[in-house]
Amino acid sequence: MKTLLIKNAFVIDPVQKISGEMMDIAVRDGKIVDDVKNPDQVIDAEGMLTLPGGIDSHTHICGTKVNFGRYMSPEDMRAGRTSRKGDMHATSGYSVPTTYGNSYRYSRMGYTTLLEGAMAPMEARHTHEEFRYTPMQDCLANTLFDGNWFALEAIQDKDIKRLAGILAWYLSAAKGFGVKLTNPGGTEAWGFGQDISCIHKPIPRFGITPREIIVRMIEANEMLNLPHSVHLHCNNLGKPGNYMCTLDTYNAIPDLNDKRQSLYSTHVQFHSYGGTSWNDFCSKADDIARSVNDKPQIVIDTGQVMFGKTTTMTADGPMEFNLYRLYHNKWSNHDVEMETGSGVIPVHYRKKNLVNAIMWSIGLELALLVDNPWQCILATDNPNGAPFVKYPEVMALLMSKEYREKEFATLHKSTGRRVALPAIDRELTWDEIAVMTRSAQARALGIIDYGKGHLAEGAEADIAIYPIHVDTTDPAHDYERIINGFSTTEYTIKRGEVVCRRGTCTLEGNHSTYWVKPHVSPAYDMSTDTAFIDGFNKYYSMRIGNYPVGDEYIGRNVCIETEASI
Amino acid sequence: MMRVILEVKERHKPNLPIEAECITPKNFLDAEREFHVWKGNKELDLTDVFHVRKDGTAKSAEQVEITIRGDSSHIKRVGEYMDGGKILIERDIGMHCGNFMSAGRIEILGNADSWLGREMQGGKIVCHGDAMDYAGSGYRGEKQGMRGGIIEIMGNAGDFAGETMAGGEIIIHGNAGDMPGVDIRDGCLTIMGDCSRPCGNMSGGECRVFGTAYDMLPTFRNEGATTIDAMPVTRFSGDYTSRGLGTLYVGTCKYMD
Repeated sequence: MKTLLIKNAFVIDPVQKISGEMMDIAVRDGKIVDDVKNPDQVIDAEGMLTLPGGIDSHTHICGTKVNFGRYMSPEDMRAGRTSRKGDMHATSGYSVPTTYGNSYRYSRMGYTTLLEGAMAPMEARHTHEEFRYTPMQDCLANTLFDGNWFALEAIQDKDIKRLAGILAWYLSAAKGFGVKLTNPGGTEAWGFGQDISCIHKPIPRFGITPREIIVRMIEANEMLNLPHSVHLHCNNLGKPGNYMCTLDTYNAIPDLNDKRQSLYSTHVQFHSYGGTSWNDFCSKADDIARSVNDKPQIVIDTGQVMFGKTTTMTADGPMEFNLYRLYHNKWSNHDVEMETGSGVIPVHYRKKNLVNAIMWSIGLELALLVDNPWQCILATDNPNGAPFVKYPEVMALLMSKEYREKEFATLHKSTGRRVALPAIDRELTWDEIAVMTRSAQARALGIIDYGKGHLAEGAEADIAIYPIHVDTTDPAHDYERIINGFSTTEYTIKRGEVVCRRGTCTLEGNHSTYWVKPHVSPAYDMSTDTAFIDGFNKYYSMRIGNYPVGDEYIGRNVCIETEASI
Repeated sequence: MMRVILEVKERHKPNLPIEAECITPKNFLDAEREFHVWKGNKELDLTDVFHVRKDGTAKSAEQVEITIRGDSSHIKRVGEYMDGGKILIERDIGMHCGNFMSAGRIEILGNADSWLGREMQGGKIVCHGDAMDYAGSGYRGEKQGMRGGIIEIMGNAGDFAGETMAGGEIIIHGNAGDMPGVDIRDGCLTIMGDCSRPCGNMSGGECRVFGTAYDMLPTFRNEGATTIDAMPVTRFSGDYTSRGLGTLYVGTCKYMD
């Protein structure tokens, strides 16, 4: 019965519609309660900005892909080293840090929940093992289905219920949380030496279009009643003129769920490009934002690019190979047997590079042009756009036009002719930033009911107290203070325990892995489906009995059981 | 002029490396400065490892001359980020000597260990003995090795001399080992003796091998005979696995059987 009382907190909690009230927060046994008598610990927040713990709804921190980024970049491992200190392990790495490095740095920024953006089900064990060593955050993993042969065959046969059954089996087996599609059909086509440039063209071998894959997956996802919607990385990432493809995709999305979106479209900055080549490359963020404003069934995250060195990693194999042809840097591509592929390449975004400067502007434009902050989530697709440690800078850019102009003046001189950013006066408010960094994520991932992303009674006591006094800080001019304030919390509290104090972490993480287990009727239970088992044993290099991730890999975990409608 | 003489003390375990990145002429300008070196994970004072003698005064790094005496073969990172002055090493020196140096001169009377002049920007390193592997190259994963300055090795060099070199000049008077100039993109690598498999994946720059290049790579195109300083050589362009914009001169070459 451990109790904690936080006094004089200046709370912003958009889920409860609390917009800057001084209040006390009481915690008992890791949950927020109405009141505690004689608390074991009292924290005086002294009027500092207090928010629910941050949630990153799309980041790459654990798993084979990330680990390959570590292998490939010994120079990156030298770039951000900290030595052992008290309870903290030594860490290394800047864009792809060690798991402890990720965990400490996120915790320092007040983040308590992370969603690994892409996990190939076949390589789920590795991801879960790394989750166990990310001690300050609850972790969830999106499971990749973009090139899953069984799923594609079910779509080919127009058998959505079977597709749902397949998703259910894989999610339970891989202990995943959501359905992720990366360049649907494209990575699989590339495995046969072909590429997909249009969502209406059939993919080789299966004869179905990426549009069909996306829509059918959304239908199947809703049949399973999963907390999260389909998480989509659109086709044609990073190609000039791809905004048309993105708009086409958005126009095809049905609205099937009134509690949350039907599609989470990730790192949209990379999908909002106009022009026909790199020479006439320009921003089309306004078209994309207009489309999102019209469609409540879509939530996007920005995928902001920030300047500096980083490592790109995605399941979009062909895109990474195209990047290699641009940069001629070391690169890797990888194929996961029946499921997907991936690629990794280090990149360096430069201010004086026109393309990079436009990319930077597009991310900010999206965040400023989407009217409803619940539909536009702040993320850098860490580490693809930039390492997550840049989030405070992104927040400051969105809150201060002055800071944007100051940064804009240092970019390539032609940037202004290709983007709309200088004409946008909007400056986001504290509440909007709170929505875009935690509440919108919690709603989009469907974990508000599990006590995430808010401070109501019964919620998990994940709290971030930032050394920012809202009443004396004018974000439009004090952007340095915002950057410093959001970079290091005064206290990060995870399940009622202080895990990080002014940047110094303790290892009392108390973290867990969230995964979903959809219950389907025996007719669609793939573990007893002979066609599925035969196909599995015929084409996979491992037996179906060895495939599911055992409980011993996931340590403390929360299983979200859902009743499917099939 | 300031003269600093650092004499390595008798060490109980002489093979344990010492990380001494603090030994640069500039650092000795500050009389108040404390010098720390690392042995494994232990931080030691400079005087725990060296007898230190300082004579004279100096206003700038250029007026400082450091002499290192005794068994310094396991003293690493001497002259890191050095930007002027002189370091004279009377015997062998450990790894990473002259890392990132941008100006000044390092003279080694004995042999140098690996990564001599790693990623250096300018200045000059003269090694009178042999150098081990990776002279003038970039460290693991680095895209660019040496970017400027001169490294002159009077003896032989080990493998991978000038890997990922992006500028400057390396002169090896003896033989080089395997794969010198691999990934070289700019600069000039000269080998007076023999070597094997030179310049794999070179994308620019120039390499001259006046002796024999053994196991010559097949991805270089023979451009005919020419002379350098009246010495007959064959000019090759390559590496055609990577655009083929580099130039390789060899005295004689032998392809793999």
